[in-house]
Amino acid sequence: MPEAIQHRFDPYSSNGGSILAIAGKDFAVVAGDTRQSEGYSIQSRYQKKVFPLTSKAILAVNGFAADGNNFVKRVKQRLEWYTHAHNKEMPIKSIARLIQTMLYARRMFPYYVYNVLAGIEEDDGTGAVYSFDPVGSYERETCRAAGAAQSLLQPFLDNQIYFRNHTPAPGQPPFDPSTHPLSTVLSILVDSFSSATERHIEVGDFLEGYVILSPGRTSDDLIGEGVKGVLPEGMTVEEQDPEDLDVQSAVAGKGCRVFLVRKELKRD
Amino acid sequence: MGSPMEMNGGSVIAMTGKDCVAIASDLRLGQQAVGLSADFEKVFPINNQLYVGLPGFATDTYTLREHLRFRVNMYRMKEEREITPKTFAHLLSSTLYEKRFGPYFIEPVIAGIPAPSAIDPDPKPFICNMDTIGCITTPKDFVVAGTATDKLYGVAEGLWEPDLEPEDLFETISQTLLAAVDRDCISGWGAVVHVITKDKIITRHLKGRMD
Amino acid sequence: MTECSFGITGKDFVLLASDQSAGRSIIKMKSDENKIRQLSPSLCMAYGGEPGDTENFVDFVERNLRLYQIRHNIELAPAPASAYIRRILAEAIRSRRPYVVSLLLGGYDKIKDESHLYWMDPYGTKVKVPYTANGLGIYVALSTMDKYWYPDITREEAGQLLKRCIDEVKLRLAYQFSFNAVEIDKDGVREYKLDGSA
Repeated sequence: MPEAIQHRFDPYSSNGGSILAIAGKDFAVVAGDTRQSEGYSIQSRYQKKVFPLTSKAILAVNGFAADGNNFVKRVKQRLEWYTHAHNKEMPIKSIARLIQTMLYARRMFPYYVYNVLAGIEEDDGTGAVYSFDPVGSYERETCRAAGAAQSLLQPFLDNQIYFRNHTPAPGQPPFDPSTHPLSTVLSILVDSFSSATERHIEVGDFLEGYVILSPGRTSDDLIGEGVKGVLPEGMTVEEQDPEDLDVQSAVAGKGCRVFLVRKELKRD
Repeated sequence: MGSPMEMNGGSVIAMTGKDCVAIASDLRLGQQAVGLSADFEKVFPINNQLYVGLPGFATDTYTLREHLRFRVNMYRMKEEREITPKTFAHLLSSTLYEKRFGPYFIEPVIAGIPAPSAIDPDPKPFICNMDTIGCITTPKDFVVAGTATDKLYGVAEGLWEPDLEPEDLFETISQTLLAAVDRDCISGWGAVVHVITKDKIITRHLKGRMD
Repeated sequence: MTECSFGITGKDFVLLASDQSAGRSIIKMKSDENKIRQLSPSLCMAYGGEPGDTENFVDFVERNLRLYQIRHNIELAPAPASAYIRRILAEAIRSRRPYVVSLLLGGYDKIKDESHLYWMDPYGTKVKVPYTANGLGIYVALSTMDKYWYPDITREEAGQLLKRCIDEVKLRLAYQFSFNAVEIDKDGVREYKLDGSA
């Protein structure tokens, strides 16, 4: 008996890498490594997976790169339509809901992508991180790691950002994860990725991400005088001109400053 | 029945410090998702300066522990001296390799401080781990094993630093273990930590999340 | 897996209870089968598993513990007895014919004046516990025991707790069980009446 010919179409792949976002009181940081791989092969040592959407919202996508890129493209298109219709940028909480709707619309043929959205909340100027599963379940959090090295990164963040299993000294107030200064958050970010690079083969090459400072933030510590104390060793920072960012700069809200941060990671 | 390595849950970690080592385990024993015991230690003393952690399939934890107790007692009687960490590692390794094609489902972790000898008057702290069939790895920083392995690697890589004093090493290994097992459904339910120094052993039980 | 047993210790006693059903698949053939065996003067085992294996295994254990007692003129204490039983299971699991038996072992150590309770599965996993359940009981009664058990629990309270567990089984499980129980202490093993009569 001849075997029946079986057709199976598997349109998904996994491209490794990890992303991470941390929200502060008046800033947010979101970053990812730039390695893209399939199986044991490195396809690219420098492929972005963190994308500015507006002047105060940045989206990191991880999982299946093709789906990720396409998803970002379509989110950007929806945001552009919104801007034309309302002559303003979409607030981050609305972007989060939009992403949920777009992901759930594909419930039966999902984008195989883990999204982490970071930025500044429109109403109160606080740092915000929204994390999503591939079909749109989402939540606002203080920090979130996703991707290949999630299991390595997240417990470290639980310890360092959320102070889990830490007890304040007698008489001291309880720990508050939203009070971390930017310098601390950046060094935790770098340490997290250095650790993940050390132990995970799919993480490495470069760390690239964005720092978004709230309009209400007074200290100018990311570039200028304070830079030495804030920036971890080996990290470079460039302030982004709203014109250069692929955002609807014409209607960009005033005051949010966006910085691109980069750091080399090990390449092995 | 799932994989024997994930059936009972549990994790072990060991770290080196300055003239000290620490080894710790969680206390959970379960049958798949159902937790049965919150005082199942997976780290056992071999002698005053040497501990072994046996996470994995709980029946093999017990079998191996008893077998090793027998072998080490025989060694002690025949040789009239304590077994060194390195010798013990090889004893355990060959014990595991004997069952090459039907292995014990255990990934052992060993931590100890060798006694000073004429050849090596100032011995370095010793840690090692091995796979289920006895292949030894001897890193200089830390070793992990069990169902929370990934998480332990992530946190340990971030928190560990060289030459920690005993109390700092205790804090580091405790925070690492708790952070990791709190993200693992089948590890946790409390923990026990042993810090081994040249002249004493500090054993402490940690309270942890009970979920 | 249509079996269900409980064990509860107090400072100076152990209660062991087991369902009494015997059958195959969804068919119940008997509802007054005793599945708690006295192994030595102060040691009992509530067992379940593959029907043929259980009886053979328990007979084997019982006779060997008896042989030990005759040879040494002293009964094996609960802790070493548990190690012996575990060893039989652990060796069998890697043999050509494993025993498919799980059990609760309850006993009283007259030398150390301690109550002992062990949970064991067919692989030879052994856990010493203050209170536990086996079979379907773990899914419905462990939380009840977590809530009501405490180290100084009295016999009366342990009896009430056992009743709560059995009530939970009647309430939550589709399968209907009848139970019997034993009480083990320094004076040995007695039947424990579950209906409250002496």
